[in-house]
Amino acid sequence: MKDVRPPQRITRFLENICPEYLFEGIIGDLEEQFYDDLETLGEKKAKRRYWWNTLRFVRPEILLRNNSNFSIINTIMISNYIKTAGRNMAKRKMFSFINAFGLSIGIAFCILIFLYIKDEKSFDKFHANSHKIYRVEEKAYDFWDPEPDKPYNYSAYIQTGLGPVLKEEVPQVQFATRFNGGGNAIVANGEKVFTEQLAYIDPDFFKMFSFETLAGNVDQFLSEKYQVVLTPKIAEKYFDSQDVLGKTLKIDIQGENEFAVVGIITSPPANSSLQFDMLVSQTVRPYYDKNVESWQNFNTPTFIQLVDNADVVAVNESLAKIVDKYMGDVLARNVKEYSIPEGIKPFEYQLTGFQDIHLDTQITWTKSSDPKYAMILGGIAFLILLIACINYISLSLTASAARQTEVGVRKSVGAQRGQLINQFAFESVILAFLSMVIGIILMFIFLPAFNEFTNKELSFDAITIMQVFGIGIGLAVVVGLISGFYPAFYLSAAKPSQVLKGGFTTKMKAGFTKPLVVLQFALSAFLIISSVIMYQQMEYVTTKDLGYDQEQVVVVPTQMGWNEESNKAVERMRTRLAQESFVSGVAGTSLSFNQGYSRYGYEIDNEYRSAYVFAVDPQYIEVLDIEMAEGRNFLTDGVNDSTDIIVNEALVADMGWENPLEEHLNWREDSASLGSKIVGVVKDYHFLSLERTIEPMFLSMDKEQVGYLQQMLIKIKPGELPNAVDKLQAVWNELSPDKPFDYTFMDEDIARQYASYERWMSIMGLATLFAILISCLGLFGLAGINAINRTKEMGIRKVFGAEVMNIFVLLNRQYIWLAMIAFVIASPLSWYAMNMWLEDFEYGIEISWPIFAISMGLGLLIALVTVSYHAVKSAYLSPAETLKYE
Amino acid sequence: MNKTYLGEFEELMLTMVGILKEEAYGNAIVKEVQDQLDRSLNLSAVHVTLYRLEDKGLVKSFMGGATQERGGRRKRYFELTSAGISVLQSLQEQRLKLWKMLPELKMAGI
Repeated sequence: MKDVRPPQRITRFLENICPEYLFEGIIGDLEEQFYDDLETLGEKKAKRRYWWNTLRFVRPEILLRNNSNFSIINTIMISNYIKTAGRNMAKRKMFSFINAFGLSIGIAFCILIFLYIKDEKSFDKFHANSHKIYRVEEKAYDFWDPEPDKPYNYSAYIQTGLGPVLKEEVPQVQFATRFNGGGNAIVANGEKVFTEQLAYIDPDFFKMFSFETLAGNVDQFLSEKYQVVLTPKIAEKYFDSQDVLGKTLKIDIQGENEFAVVGIITSPPANSSLQFDMLVSQTVRPYYDKNVESWQNFNTPTFIQLVDNADVVAVNESLAKIVDKYMGDVLARNVKEYSIPEGIKPFEYQLTGFQDIHLDTQITWTKSSDPKYAMILGGIAFLILLIACINYISLSLTASAARQTEVGVRKSVGAQRGQLINQFAFESVILAFLSMVIGIILMFIFLPAFNEFTNKELSFDAITIMQVFGIGIGLAVVVGLISGFYPAFYLSAAKPSQVLKGGFTTKMKAGFTKPLVVLQFALSAFLIISSVIMYQQMEYVTTKDLGYDQEQVVVVPTQMGWNEESNKAVERMRTRLAQESFVSGVAGTSLSFNQGYSRYGYEIDNEYRSAYVFAVDPQYIEVLDIEMAEGRNFLTDGVNDSTDIIVNEALVADMGWENPLEEHLNWREDSASLGSKIVGVVKDYHFLSLERTIEPMFLSMDKEQVGYLQQMLIKIKPGELPNAVDKLQAVWNELSPDKPFDYTFMDEDIARQYASYERWMSIMGLATLFAILISCLGLFGLAGINAINRTKEMGIRKVFGAEVMNIFVLLNRQYIWLAMIAFVIASPLSWYAMNMWLEDFEYGIEISWPIFAISMGLGLLIALVTVSYHAVKSAYLSPAETLKYE
Repeated sequence: MNKTYLGEFEELMLTMVGILKEEAYGNAIVKEVQDQLDRSLNLSAVHVTLYRLEDKGLVKSFMGGATQERGGRRKRYFELTSAGISVLQSLQEQRLKLWKMLPELKMAGI
């Protein structure tokens, strides 16, 4: 019996919750009872009673005696802390404002970035089946020109026939739809004639994606060939109503047809990768029948939905079999002909999850974006917040002298250091909360501009607002605690005996704040330099001589389709506009600038080459003012010219020709002839964006082989631009009243190539502005404190004959030094970052020392202006004022 | 000096500490009350009340020497402070004073 011991588990439990000083007395009594019970009641009952009795000690009277662990915040003092915080803010209004405003901007920025990232992440998640949907992609070995580091081409455009084949032959594929967005067509309902973008899809589309059906029977959508499903916006546009079932629209897709409106479906939200206005069947796509038979044309994005719990490995195996079955012969021939190394798969299909396509960097898609942008934005927000925090710390520290006395008094009446730390932390959290409120208001003010910069439509629902407040509060607490931490420790360390004795000088300790100011200024300098470089690059890109004259040119599509009619329309317009005095010339081309390109590959002398090709007319070179290097332009009445071509200098160089005008380019690999005769050479001009080098290109008038003139380039005479569009519209309505008149300005088209860079420059500019603003606020505050600290010194100096200028220089000198050190730190960092950015451009500016000098001058000037206010003020202060109390 | 009011249980504990003198610790009180009054007490209630009395300054506690019989644990002994003694005395006086004002009961009792 003696060996029986009380249950230890419950003993240990009591030990954990019981104050240490009481535990021994309690557990001793309990054990004594246990051994008594053991003798009278037996082991089992004794143990049970021991458990129960021990458990009864879990009661507030015992637990609350652990008081050292419990009441962390001294609740009695909180009202006093609030009062003191309020008085301090009121006393130092300007510093409080600087602190709160800086933090507000930081918080506003952070919330905006949060919204941006949230929006990026939300892409395509709203479909019920989105986790089961995949995009089918090709991964093809580049036969022509395999680059050593990336020999594969990836594309979302695959064969038209693949979609149906997948659904039929792969058991795990439940649904499949093709999606060709962005096909232009002329749509008409009576008088209302516009160009619209059609999306060509399959009926499975409606089963896979969760776009809500507003009218019509979704099971019957596009079950017949000439049917169309509209979004409400389009229904309103053509019918002024959404009650449109059974009505018809005339749609011109290589010939006009009546399409029955069978349904209305919600417009895709902004965070959808699939964007459309009108949905029609794949079967009406131009050349559908030809495409669906061909396994050599890659032009159709395809989405599949797998069955529940599908085995993706098995699906991939099925895809490999399909490659063998439909493309095996061609691929085997290619492998042989181009002697592709052993072990390389010439062609594969791969699947990408539908939710991942928005942030896919391998294959670009409408609206797809690079996750690195979100990271850059997040980094900028973090920098701004950091600068604001540094403001808080350095201002608190420099203003600490005034509060040393308060600390001394508090300590001598019994405040413990922990309490003081709590107090100061509490104060900064209060300030941070104020900033949060201002920050959220600022965010609402910035939102429209931010939407414009980022090309997004961020908006609010209840959940988002809750999240915004949650983040705001979280940021406020974190920022408040972090930035209050050091000042709290620093301030609470003051020794009351020293402080209250009176010998304490109220001079700021600049030792620690200086590195903070340098860091802050370095961050701002980094942003300044980056912005200046971005600005210069954009300036360079938009004003660079492209080799042709893009000003005053209106681009008008002929709207005639891919045929001879289109060329005739250009001719008609030219004849008609010859009578008008505001037009100086009309040219036709297959594709204007920033509308895409055609590129042909050909084999000459056993070497694979390729060139860009544009169909033009003889007026093209004239209207665009392109310089000829050699030879002649096409002849206006030159019937023979249809097989002749004009090449650019890059092509001459590529072919290594000495006398290009005596050469032929056999780009059609025609064994019966020499190929196209070169009649002229144009000087290189930038037919693509400046992100690329000028590659071989030729111009041709060959309608059958190269193409028809789909675009009219109408050159307006100087000074006539304001009314030109109206006049052109009038002429258009006269010539082709049944076609819509669309137009763009060529210089704007060209500028649009750089829209995303332009946007990034705006964001950087905005961020720089805020960073400078916040740093300046901080610097201003610091300079103010410094000036006050040295008021008496300045007074004495003036008495001894110092000039205003001396004092000005004396006060400003240190800040200039700090700013210069900051620039020295920031320059290499920004040089590195900007070099990476400039790598996107084939034609970039050189980052040279003037850029840094300009940025530095700018930064110094701003810093100087900021601190000068105080310097001038104290320099002009009469010594009698400052010294009379001594 | 402020008057100290005690609850019934607190009064009982205070009395028991007085009665048990040098042997007043938690479990001893439980046993003594069981023996004398045939009333079974929970140990935790006893302890908590004793601590409360200590907070009020009516008893004070100290740890005794190591023992053999209870796992080597020391006992927490309690003893009356002078304030505790005077509270007990004044309670007794109040009780007597009021008792004398109950003539009928006294008669019936006899």
